[in-house]
Amino acid sequence: MLVGLLMIAAGAAAGAFGSLLGLGGGVLIVPLLTLGFGLPLREAVGVSLICVIMTSSASAGVYLERHIANLRLGMTLELFTATGALLGGSIAFLLSDQLLSFLFAALLLFVAASMARGRGAELEVEPEPDRHALVVPEPGAPQTALDRLSGDGYRVHSLGFGVIGATGAGITSALLGIGGGVVKVPLMHLAMGVPLRVATATSNMMIGITAAASAVIYIIHGGIDPYVAGPTAIGVFLGATAGSRLGDRVELRYLRLLFVVVLVITALQLLLRVVG
Amino acid sequence: MSAGAGPVAAEGRSVAAERLIGRLLIAVTYVAVGLLSVGVVLMIADGISPLSGGPGLDFATLGAQLRALEPAAFLWLGLLAVVAAPIGRVIVAAVAFARQGDWLMVAISLGILAVIAVGVGSALTVTV
Repeated sequence: MLVGLLMIAAGAAAGAFGSLLGLGGGVLIVPLLTLGFGLPLREAVGVSLICVIMTSSASAGVYLERHIANLRLGMTLELFTATGALLGGSIAFLLSDQLLSFLFAALLLFVAASMARGRGAELEVEPEPDRHALVVPEPGAPQTALDRLSGDGYRVHSLGFGVIGATGAGITSALLGIGGGVVKVPLMHLAMGVPLRVATATSNMMIGITAAASAVIYIIHGGIDPYVAGPTAIGVFLGATAGSRLGDRVELRYLRLLFVVVLVITALQLLLRVVG
Repeated sequence: MSAGAGPVAAEGRSVAAERLIGRLLIAVTYVAVGLLSVGVVLMIADGISPLSGGPGLDFATLGAQLRALEPAAFLWLGLLAVVAAPIGRVIVAAVAFARQGDWLMVAISLGILAVIAVGVGSALTVTV
């Protein structure tokens, strides 16, 4: 019983942190389950995918209801993230636990470095629109595919780059059990000219299908343990719900610093396990 | 494109479809959380440790396990609901795009479903 409650608490902490800092819970859930509960990395990745879908559905539902997420753009890129997830999900069962641990540690250090530079906090601020962002087609002009993917007040560009990046995000997501928002948000915002708020909401929506594509493969391969996934997913749901309500009252600067320290320590522990 | 009622009506249908999809996602998430909660409560009541290794998914016995109030059955049903939510969202979106006559988006939606189907098919082939 105690272990079950601890898993709910761990999931809640990961969900709350993820929600407050705009990251999927996967970055925290995988190390929590491997280092905290001794689960094999691949099993932790499977559970993490379930948690990622859970948070994605809950938040994407709200974003779609409020007409913030770009459904057309999201679904177009989803075709490629799902393809990448399919590739990643198949590769994941061929790679050793040590190599996956090393890749995950590298990802944690990358996220920690990005957050230390302050990118995490800036995600909440709407930057100046770039030169492409406000180019809206003339009312009478024929619509191109890019016009149809664009939204109110912005025009999507560099779709080819987006397609390549989305495929890479799908592979990363399936290999490491993360939502991939850390790749998709900068991709849409910086490379494709999508406003940050829309990019974050659209990424949240996309994460669900990417993770679902690989979660199905994990379920068929017996890579998801219901006794671990159940309590952890409930915890993540509760944590993410609480986190979204606490967002305005928490000093994000200190939270981000704490998060960076936790990520670096976790990455070092994973690397020590690889070496050991 | 003319500025008549056509585009405005299409935009209205698009917004309505997004709202419907959003509500669907939220509803399925709550159903999933409910099923998972029942499973976890039954797990605790039966004194099962989460680290004892849960059973795999077996569709053939799932119904009987649910009637016997087996915790794993409720957990699996909840997990399936979690995974089904985004897939169901793509299906609903495909129908909505078809009603709007946006055949490119219908093709993209079907492409996503095809990729997932290929994944399931290949995983089943490898497992069997």
